[in-house]
Amino acid sequence: MTQEYRLKKNGYINRNKKISFKFNGKKYFGFEGDTLASALLANGVHLVGRSFKYHRPRGFLGAGVDEPNAKFQLYSKETTEPNIVATEIELVEGLVAKSQNCWPSVNFDFGAINNLLSKIFPAGFYYKTFMWPKNFWYKIYEPIIRRAAGLGIAPMKPDNDRYEHKFEFCDVLVVGSGPSGLAGALAAAKNGARVILAEDKSRFGGSLLNDEVTIGNKKGKDWADETILQLKSMSNVIVKNRSQVFGYYDHNMMVMIERTKDHIEKPTKYTPRQKLWYIRTKETILSTGSIERPLVFGNNDRPGIMLASAAKEYLKTYGVLVGKKPIIFSNNDGAYDLAIEFKKNGIDPLVIDIREKSNSTAVKEAKNLGIDIKFSHAIANTNGYKKVNSATIGKLNKDKTGYENLENVSCDCICVSGNWTPTVHLSSQSGNKLKFQEKIDAFVPEKSKQNESTVGSAKGIFTLKESLEDGFKLGYELSNKITKKNIKSSIPPSNERNQDRHDKFWCMPLPKNKDYKRCVDFQNDVYVSDIELAVREGFRSIEHVKRYTTLGMATDQGKTSNLNGLQLVSNIEKKIIPEVGHTTFRPPYTPITIGAIVGREVGKHYRPTRKSPMHLWHEKNNAVFVDAGLWLRPRYYKQGNETLQDAAKREATNVRNNIGICDVTSLGKIDIKGSDSAEFLNRIYTNAWMKLPVGKARYGVMLREDGIVFDDGTTTRISENHFHMTTTTAQAANVLSHLEYYLQVVWPDLDVNVLSTTEQWAGVALAGPNSRNLLGKLFPNIDVSNEALPFMGFKKGDLFGVPARIFRISFSGELAFEINVESGYGIFMWEKIMELGKEMNIEPYGTEALSTLRIEMGHVAGSEIDGRVIPSDLSLDGMISKKKDFIGKRSLNRQAFVELDREKIVGVVPIDKKTMIPEGSHLVANRNASLPNPKLGHISASCWSVEYNNPFSLAILKDGKKRIGEKLYALSPLKNKSIEVEIVSSHYVDPKGERVRS
Amino acid sequence: MLEIKCPYCGKRSQNEFSYGGDAAVKRPELGKEVSDKEWDNFVYLRKNPRGNHREFWHHVAGCRQWFKVLRDTSTHEIFKTARLDEEL
Amino acid sequence: MQKYSIFSLIKNAFSNHKNWEVAWKDPEPKKQYDVVIIGGGGHGLATAYYLAKEHKITNVAILEKGWIGGGNVGRNTTILRSNYMWDANGLFYEYGMKLWENLSQELNYNVMYSPRGIINLAHSDAQLNTYSRRGNSMRLNGIDAVMLGRDELKKMIPFADFSSSSRFPIFGGLMQPRGGTARHDAVAWGYARQADSLGVDIIQHCEVTGFEVQNGKLTGVQTSRGDIKTKKVGLCVAGSTSLLAEKLNMNLPIESHVLQACVSEPVKPFLDHVVTFGAGHFYCSQSDKGEMVMGGDLDGYNSYAQRGNLPTIQHVLSEGVAMFPNLSRLKMLRTWGGIMDMSMDGSPIIDKTHIEGVYLNCGWCYGGFKATPVSGWTFAHTIAQDRVHELNSKFRLNRFSTGHLIDEKGVGTKTWIG
Repeated sequence: MTQEYRLKKNGYINRNKKISFKFNGKKYFGFEGDTLASALLANGVHLVGRSFKYHRPRGFLGAGVDEPNAKFQLYSKETTEPNIVATEIELVEGLVAKSQNCWPSVNFDFGAINNLLSKIFPAGFYYKTFMWPKNFWYKIYEPIIRRAAGLGIAPMKPDNDRYEHKFEFCDVLVVGSGPSGLAGALAAAKNGARVILAEDKSRFGGSLLNDEVTIGNKKGKDWADETILQLKSMSNVIVKNRSQVFGYYDHNMMVMIERTKDHIEKPTKYTPRQKLWYIRTKETILSTGSIERPLVFGNNDRPGIMLASAAKEYLKTYGVLVGKKPIIFSNNDGAYDLAIEFKKNGIDPLVIDIREKSNSTAVKEAKNLGIDIKFSHAIANTNGYKKVNSATIGKLNKDKTGYENLENVSCDCICVSGNWTPTVHLSSQSGNKLKFQEKIDAFVPEKSKQNESTVGSAKGIFTLKESLEDGFKLGYELSNKITKKNIKSSIPPSNERNQDRHDKFWCMPLPKNKDYKRCVDFQNDVYVSDIELAVREGFRSIEHVKRYTTLGMATDQGKTSNLNGLQLVSNIEKKIIPEVGHTTFRPPYTPITIGAIVGREVGKHYRPTRKSPMHLWHEKNNAVFVDAGLWLRPRYYKQGNETLQDAAKREATNVRNNIGICDVTSLGKIDIKGSDSAEFLNRIYTNAWMKLPVGKARYGVMLREDGIVFDDGTTTRISENHFHMTTTTAQAANVLSHLEYYLQVVWPDLDVNVLSTTEQWAGVALAGPNSRNLLGKLFPNIDVSNEALPFMGFKKGDLFGVPARIFRISFSGELAFEINVESGYGIFMWEKIMELGKEMNIEPYGTEALSTLRIEMGHVAGSEIDGRVIPSDLSLDGMISKKKDFIGKRSLNRQAFVELDREKIVGVVPIDKKTMIPEGSHLVANRNASLPNPKLGHISASCWSVEYNNPFSLAILKDGKKRIGEKLYALSPLKNKSIEVEIVSSHYVDPKGERVRS
Repeated sequence: MLEIKCPYCGKRSQNEFSYGGDAAVKRPELGKEVSDKEWDNFVYLRKNPRGNHREFWHHVAGCRQWFKVLRDTSTHEIFKTARLDEEL
Repeated sequence: MQKYSIFSLIKNAFSNHKNWEVAWKDPEPKKQYDVVIIGGGGHGLATAYYLAKEHKITNVAILEKGWIGGGNVGRNTTILRSNYMWDANGLFYEYGMKLWENLSQELNYNVMYSPRGIINLAHSDAQLNTYSRRGNSMRLNGIDAVMLGRDELKKMIPFADFSSSSRFPIFGGLMQPRGGTARHDAVAWGYARQADSLGVDIIQHCEVTGFEVQNGKLTGVQTSRGDIKTKKVGLCVAGSTSLLAEKLNMNLPIESHVLQACVSEPVKPFLDHVVTFGAGHFYCSQSDKGEMVMGGDLDGYNSYAQRGNLPTIQHVLSEGVAMFPNLSRLKMLRTWGGIMDMSMDGSPIIDKTHIEGVYLNCGWCYGGFKATPVSGWTFAHTIAQDRVHELNSKFRLNRFSTGHLIDEKGVGTKTWIG
């Protein structure tokens, strides 16, 4: 294949390295250094896509991030990716891309029927129809619209690529490596500042790559190259290409995306695909440049019609002619650079200039070269369905409302220039209010809210000389605020073509009786008539226009269309643009890969996994784990083919009959020390703590200030001024913050310190009638009798040389002990217990058996303490001290909290003694009542009682205590269950608590 | 991303901190009789201003100290941070 | 008023759509109104519409400081549902669902009500049980709900992470089949158009600067476009309620927080439901345009800024990728933030106040969009009749004093924890 439109010279591509790629099934060649767009254009391919709504043929409009049309589906061996921008993606060997949103092909697209129907599908048509019959929207119309919408195809598989995050700090961040950016970076770097220079493109230099200018007697491009080399050689500078700063967040946090993989032909397995940089900067220089605006005229959206600056970039950077019979259509001098370049490469362009004249050097030069220029002319319309082949041009009448004559001129491309729009996105994101500058018909930054300064064309400065001066000046001033080194760099002299004024006119009139479509938003199919319609219907705010017409809401976010739309509204409304206002700029500047934002928090690493020191033992012994917050806890230890229920029954039974061991490491543990510790606990918990003796534990309930139960657990007095608090696994972190808040903020006078010791201790619970015997064997030197170590007693011990803490506390309701040793000894403790307990039939039990044991004892846990109950709801009235104040006490006397028929905890047993009541069922009096059926309460937890060998549940029931003995129904419509039940006490087993005290 | 100056550790990114709400809210003294209105004021009612806001933050992934911040709720600008025993 | 239909579209095509009337007028404010609604968002527009339609009160003004529909009704994730556990919420939102079902026809404006089903994923048996409690409560209240097993979900959302490398495996889910989405802008515009046609004045760029209260009775409001006499004013300015309440010397149980959302670039449809992640705060649906619409957590500190920070987006998207790993390779197109009235129990307030003639509609937390019709309907009733309707009888302001809280999540007063 020849690259028919590739010039023999020009461009910064590597002509020694040919690269093959496939587009829409056809093989092409380009060169290393091409983008997919430049390579396609080198092969004369212009028809690359279809518009979103009407499926009109689309070609390249731009050469960079502003490109609205050339969005492709990319294919690789592993995956596919939608909506990649052809002007941004660098060509690599074997790249495979296809056009999107067309069927069966971009050449012949059935969707183009929409174009024929476009008359009845103007902006917002969908709000006016598809309402009849009622259910058809969801069933018929919406599915059809959904299928037609969307651009590319999402991959269905996980992303195997790796994305990394990096954190950096700098004195001066320079965004953009055009002349003003390079100047700013150089000045700041020479003045000793830590500088980061970020360039979105693969090449540094910005406009210097494509402009015929000199700086310091060198070609602009050469000066840029040398400056980059110089910056790279400095140790205080980080220079990054392929790196786009896409967001300006609070407190000068800039976020940048660096493309690190896709352009490499053979990346290593470890190369991250992209890197997200969080950069905290002291000063920012935004040298983000500007984007050319299209002119608007009849059928201005055909393939082959593109921005003049893009055509120039293809010519200068890539050595590609976008056409051989070009028309250049402009309202300013910028496009003459392109005309001259064409001419120098042997192509004769026709220039159509809206202005009556121009005295710029560019125009003079063009005239001297013999370039055909038609002043006071405009393009009224174009022809050529899949590629433009002629333009209808004419002389504009005096007030530019029509044409004096019209003629057809053949062409193979049209390069348009409607002047420049400064790229103010980052500045606006930083909080800067923008102001409209009449001189350039665009918005520029006004007053900085953060440490942000804009330079060069991004703030409306369009001469090289001023841009350089601006950059050097700011680079010095900003850096000197920080370094105070006073090292000024000299500003090199520069030379460029001067420019005359542009014409504000940009939207061409329609010839008489013609109804051509004039496109404003190329991807989303928004035409002049749509914006007129919106305003006609009262959508006059620019935000209304945007939303109603979808102007600027496509994947290019209106980089080439927003300002034109705005000007149109201003023209129709006869309002000046500042009155119309502008839509908001929000991050990101261009679409950012979601994986890159997420970074490494994926798959198993989505959240940390916390494991107890005994985890490996559990794994070896067939534990099935359950997530408890971030912890993995053994749910049960599977034997043979048994089910969860079988295992729970077996394990719980063994606790009731013999002895079980349970890993309780995940419980929150907080060390509390200081002379006011008891007083502090007295304020935190609802019950009394002052008189708790050393060596004793007590159960405590803590409330939020609104009176709702926050957490519960046991706290042990280790010594006079030292307590050991336990919390639930779920609330451990919150309780610590809660304690710290009260200590530091509310009662700073208390002498108390708190520290999380959750990770410090490995904990086990030994439960069952044999537990004391085993404890005796574990601690032969300690008296473990009921008298010496009574219920709620505490002792320090020595576990075969390992210091241990022994607590006689019980969640299972059995005679039970908890032993803590330092984490590193956890597995030693566990194995020792298993070894010595073997003869007593010790078996490990998991959280499921633990639940069974606590439920039938009526002990409350997370399913009851659900953030909505007060102590009395859980029969914890006795825990509330009447003598002292504590957190949340004042809330307990509120009307709703003292109502007598509040929902309270009860036990529930199915009448048939067989049917398990699903958790989450509701209790009702009448199972056949019409809906809504009044709910009396709900089942919070269910188990198979191993004590009574029948199902048992806990419930929170309206007026619960008075209903004991009543028959109600537990309904679970979700599971189609309706179970007749009897209300019993929540303390189903050992109501007097004799076992724990035995 | 906010940058918050912990009075004990210096400037850190917001990821290290957790928010603690309006610092103008004062807990009534323990054991003191308070009217329903005062109690509601403390538990539920907030000025919720647009503009300057005195608030608590907790350096939860750092020194674990609570401290005070004066911040503009409309711009997120932080004017000052202070230890609890300092004036803000 | 012109009727919208395919026929009127075709008819107008012949005149190049030059004959469409304005959807709503742009009148100058009058000196006096029977009712003034502050806030031209969804709730305000709906309230005005129902005042005119249900209660025949048509001398009504909506005062909007910016442009209508520019607040949270235009910056949400468009989800509709009534999958609540507490009766107060469930019955209220269910009435709202019934209004949604007929809204396009009632307003003659296609609000694109799309009952595609909302699925809450559960990642443990304990979570399934919590969802059962809610789902069963819904069913007993006559609201649709079904439990889905892992295998059923695999068929519905095969791209979700059902692999062994998932950190929090999917156990099952609760689904409300009638839950879904609607087109947010259309809701605001549809109500505006009908309210306007019934005689309501929609006054944009008119900021309320003060209230006139005499002897505990409202007599008028002061605005940037002059004073207006009225005996009744309804506040529908969620996000900024505290600012107006301050002018009435009221402190409310509300904090303003920013909630961000984002969309991906449009892709061909693959997600046909609304899905929420159970091991974090993340929800996702795919718009008719093809964008993945994603939302999650508050930024976590009081804010009126309508802009958030990246850590929250990062956090939310990590949850998204944990749920749907294929999202990783899509690109995030746009982020935005809205200001939420976070009430202290997570439920709204629709009530009278201690000032005669001042009515309050606020505290919508994240859930205001789906409430738009029923909020307007009940608020209109409350204003017109000067008493709460059965449906909003639990959403009183004094519930914070009495303790009759409606705490759906059980997290208490730390509104920023969500």
